[in-house]
Amino acid sequence: MPTLVRKSLGEYRRALIGWTVGLCAFLGMYISIYASMMKDPETFSRQAIAKYPGAFRDLMGGMTDIATGRGYLQAVAYQLLGPLLFTMCAAILGNRAIAGPEEAKTLELTLTLPIDRRRLLLERWAALTLGLLGVALVTLAVAAGASSAADMDVPFGSILAAHTGLFLLVLFFGTLTLCVGAAFGRKQIALAVVGVWGVAGYIVETMGRSIDAISWLRWISPVHYYLDGRPLYQGWPYGDYLVLLGATAVLLMTALLAFERRDVGV
Amino acid sequence: MTAVVETEGLTKFYGTRRGLEDLTLEIRPGEVFGYLGPNGAGKTTTIRLLLDVIRPTSGRATVFGADTRDPRVRARIGYLPGELALEGRERARDYLQFLADVRGGVSRGRIDELAERLDADLSVRMGELSKGNKQKVGLIQAFMHEPELLILDEPTSGLDPLVQQEFLAMVREARTAGHTILMSSHVLAEVEHVADRVGIVRAGRLVAVEDIAALRERAVRHVELHFDAPVPKESFDGLPGVRDVVVQGASLRCTIDGRPDALIKAAARYTVVHMVSAEPDLEEIFLTYYSEEEGRHAHAGA
Ligand SMILES: Nc1ncnc2c1ncn2[C@@H]1O[C@H](COP(=O)(O)OP(=O)(O)OP(=O)(O)O)[C@@H](O)[C@H]1O
Ligand SMILES: [Mg+2]
Repeated sequence: MPTLVRKSLGEYRRALIGWTVGLCAFLGMYISIYASMMKDPETFSRQAIAKYPGAFRDLMGGMTDIATGRGYLQAVAYQLLGPLLFTMCAAILGNRAIAGPEEAKTLELTLTLPIDRRRLLLERWAALTLGLLGVALVTLAVAAGASSAADMDVPFGSILAAHTGLFLLVLFFGTLTLCVGAAFGRKQIALAVVGVWGVAGYIVETMGRSIDAISWLRWISPVHYYLDGRPLYQGWPYGDYLVLLGATAVLLMTALLAFERRDVGV
Repeated sequence: MTAVVETEGLTKFYGTRRGLEDLTLEIRPGEVFGYLGPNGAGKTTTIRLLLDVIRPTSGRATVFGADTRDPRVRARIGYLPGELALEGRERARDYLQFLADVRGGVSRGRIDELAERLDADLSVRMGELSKGNKQKVGLIQAFMHEPELLILDEPTSGLDPLVQQEFLAMVREARTAGHTILMSSHVLAEVEHVADRVGIVRAGRLVAVEDIAALRERAVRHVELHFDAPVPKESFDGLPGVRDVVVQGASLRCTIDGRPDALIKAAARYTVVHMVSAEPDLEEIFLTYYSEEEGRHAHAGA
């Protein structure tokens, strides 16, 4: 493994472990209470729907089938909270690639090593990707294990398809953070861009899909390419996932170009 | 022989703020070059331009004849940043090892040897190092791969006098090995014992480049002489290079520009019991250069 990738992973290690533990605890807990809810699915379903106003149900992806294994897994893990938490993790790690060290002034010495800036950025990105992949694999195992333990009756293939989408989504947002950080060298700007694009994108994709005036905006929402194909129900939405991957590649290229020509640390 | 560092009209503006303007400078192989100037003069700006951390607004710079953009050049440079930041839970030794690996490795025992010389404890986490100890780690990483060019931005800041001496010894050894050194400082006293030449930068402009020996000659110096009996002021009037003469009974105070020769010869006619000569301080050298610059501009204007 290239020295810089290994070094960056070393720097990410504590954060990675922390986020993995947190995400696994979240998934494990929510999935395991499924069994107790299902003792009386009718009441649970009615209660769940009654608790939330219509707009909020849209936000949560409808929730009409919350009393089924798929519906429950989608609502608690893959709809909002799972992506939200995992995206926060990706954004925090993405900021550690360039903007964080730049603000802390530790990037200057790294830059003066005999490696060109493009390689520096690529290796940092590779470490980010590997880190997120590690978190994704462990959480996939927990999600699959917990849902089969809770008798959810969702095939592993569907969970894998949904989880892959989740990984691609957070990789997109992690790369976005890295890209904005590489272009401006400020963590706050990167977090603001990710926050606004992520939240607005999510609202447009869920509540906004039925509002004509804004529904076209779905095309520029990364969340659209994650949710629209309903992978947990319908399997692999290859086209959508390719869009996420392509967008990630574009961001990475942008980051390379922007970082290459910039003054660092000013 | 070609210059190790060469700049031509090198200029850097931060927005509209001037960092450095029109720097043309040559640093020769094997010399120790002291780069002097007050706060905000443009020293760090120059050094960051040479290491390609920031890009020039105009002009160009080459190191070892290659454009500063070429990353291979940096393998031959040892760099100590002026605002060195080391943080995190990583131990200093591991960080140094990482830097060494990326630079293609350093000879065995080199890190320990330097750590011993500078009395640095490398088992401490970097975030917990004191300022001076951070500076030591910075020096170790700059020297450890025995680079042909050392660029040191305020290398002695935060170091205690003993360690400063050790550092100067390391600089001398590097020069003996034929390496070139560029080091910045606020005060001449810090570099005068090792530097061959100094450049003085002020408000973004290089105002002088001098041999250390020549600079000493031009330096302003305050001298105080005490005699065994009162001396007549007339004996010291009109001596070349001697001004502001004040005689009070048996003592004399004056300012000399350059050589003290005339003063010494005049004083030798009496019995000197005590003599105090303050080291020339950089600020006054600045002022001398500055007023010369002003003078020249005034002439050009007239
Ligand atoms: N990031 C920056 N943004 C705007 N102006 C800057 C920046 N860095 C430096 N400057 C300006 O450029 C000028 C030169 O600064 P520089 O840091 O090169 O000085 P210096 O000689 O290293 O000073 P010091 O002795 O205090 O380290 C100063 O006027 C400073 O205000
Ligand atoms: Mg400085």
